[in-house]
Amino acid sequence: MQQILVWAILSISSVFMALTIAIVANKAWRETRAAGRARRRRELEPTILGWAHGDEKTIRAALEGDPSPPDRVVVEQILLDHIQRVRGIERERMAKAMEQLGFVDVYLEGLESRRWWRRAESAEKLGLAGSKRAIQPLSSALDDEMPEVRLRAAKALGQLGGVASARKLVRALNEPNRWSTIRVADILIGMGHESIHAVIEAFDELSHDGQLAVLDIVGRVRPLSATEWLLSKASNDSTDIRARACHALGSIGDPHVTPQLVSALDDPKWPVRAMAAKALGRMLMVEAVPELAEALRDKQWWVRHNAARALRTIGPRGLEALEEMVADRDAFAREQAVLMLEEAGRVDERAIELAEEDTAAREAARTFFERVVAAGVTGRIRVLAREHPVDSVRRELLTLLPREAV
Amino acid sequence: MESHQILVVDDDPITARFIASLLQEHGYDVLVAEDGAHALEIVERHELAMVVSDLVMPYRDGYSVLRAIRRNEKYRDLPVLLLSMRDREEDIVKGLEEGADDYVIKPFNARELMARIRKILRTRKVS
Repeated sequence: MQQILVWAILSISSVFMALTIAIVANKAWRETRAAGRARRRRELEPTILGWAHGDEKTIRAALEGDPSPPDRVVVEQILLDHIQRVRGIERERMAKAMEQLGFVDVYLEGLESRRWWRRAESAEKLGLAGSKRAIQPLSSALDDEMPEVRLRAAKALGQLGGVASARKLVRALNEPNRWSTIRVADILIGMGHESIHAVIEAFDELSHDGQLAVLDIVGRVRPLSATEWLLSKASNDSTDIRARACHALGSIGDPHVTPQLVSALDDPKWPVRAMAAKALGRMLMVEAVPELAEALRDKQWWVRHNAARALRTIGPRGLEALEEMVADRDAFAREQAVLMLEEAGRVDERAIELAEEDTAAREAARTFFERVVAAGVTGRIRVLAREHPVDSVRRELLTLLPREAV
Repeated sequence: MESHQILVVDDDPITARFIASLLQEHGYDVLVAEDGAHALEIVERHELAMVVSDLVMPYRDGYSVLRAIRRNEKYRDLPVLLLSMRDREEDIVKGLEEGADDYVIKPFNARELMARIRKILRTRKVS
């Protein structure tokens, strides 16, 4: 019995010893390899960067031949690290180096791997390597069964850029069950003007949500050339499409579309009216001040709010219009005008005028506050009546406020 | 004697090495700092021709380095080029208003960056 126990202890100790030796040896090997790679990196990096800055044709000439298998790992890492940090000729030269050294071929093979993480990694590296040869294989990877591979392929296509890549990506906008529309739209926005032709071209074949995403993309990229196309969408049968088209037109800011946006303030659907008001504000359209003031009487709060904000954004003329609307016959318009004037700091500015020596200025300020009080929005006036640093202003405001408000 | 030393400040060593190699390729001596505090120590100790600094860094960011340089009588005229991934209008305006000689967005075009650096150095030399 004792002998069995001794044998058992010895066996367990041997196993632990062997495991410890294996772990230590593995760690030592990894650290030695990492140190070796770091050393080689310090030696190779200046050569590779020097080649990227220069005009020598092939990377092989700079490296004096094909790198050895251990050096290939180091060279690949150097190229991948730097290629994503620069644009222009240096980037193109490093992309060319990746082609010349066969890395792109390896990644293309990796896209066919049975292991999904290898496919995902290859897709990502193909995006960095910038080879146009990868557009077709990456497009196929958009149909991969693994979401991570699909996403990395989409990002890679976005990095490769070009109309061909954009066309492939637009397709993904039609598959909301497989793709996050927002993520795809972000990638297309990141591609900038290159994506615009493709998204506009595909518009009619997309689902309703896909079409809305396209309008958002156009609004974010803001190509002046898309103005006419957006105008055609501003008269679409769908309320959402009309509204988003107005929003995108406001982002682009072409003043020639002002009449159409002003007409959209009379659209039967409130989301369109709200977006038209917002767009006119963003474009600082002084010409639209009367119509925006009129929109303060809209029966929908969003339209009134956007119209008031637009008037504020437009500047002095818009603020004047808001002051006039304080005495409007419409209670909603009065309320919205006062709230926006408060937000713009105009009520505080007017309060200071109550202490002016000039009688006319003081009277004008008093009339303004009488109108605000009559409009029934006295929140800021009550605060000023309590806290304004000038005694005479506080007293004046207290006389204007109704007794119950005081 | 005219200095040809340029200080590159970036907490990302890969970007710092890339810019350093680019500048060396064009005949400049390069010093590298990995954060704003270290950068200011170098500015204090060396006769520099220019500083190329990242914006977002630990301890002291690019704005802080820029302000410290502009506040110091001794090297307030030292040209500073800011380099950042922040491409919003307000960041660019803030950088230039704080006194940067130029603002370049990352990822940058290496040749454009060199052209901007040369232009700043030329302008300072003339003035």
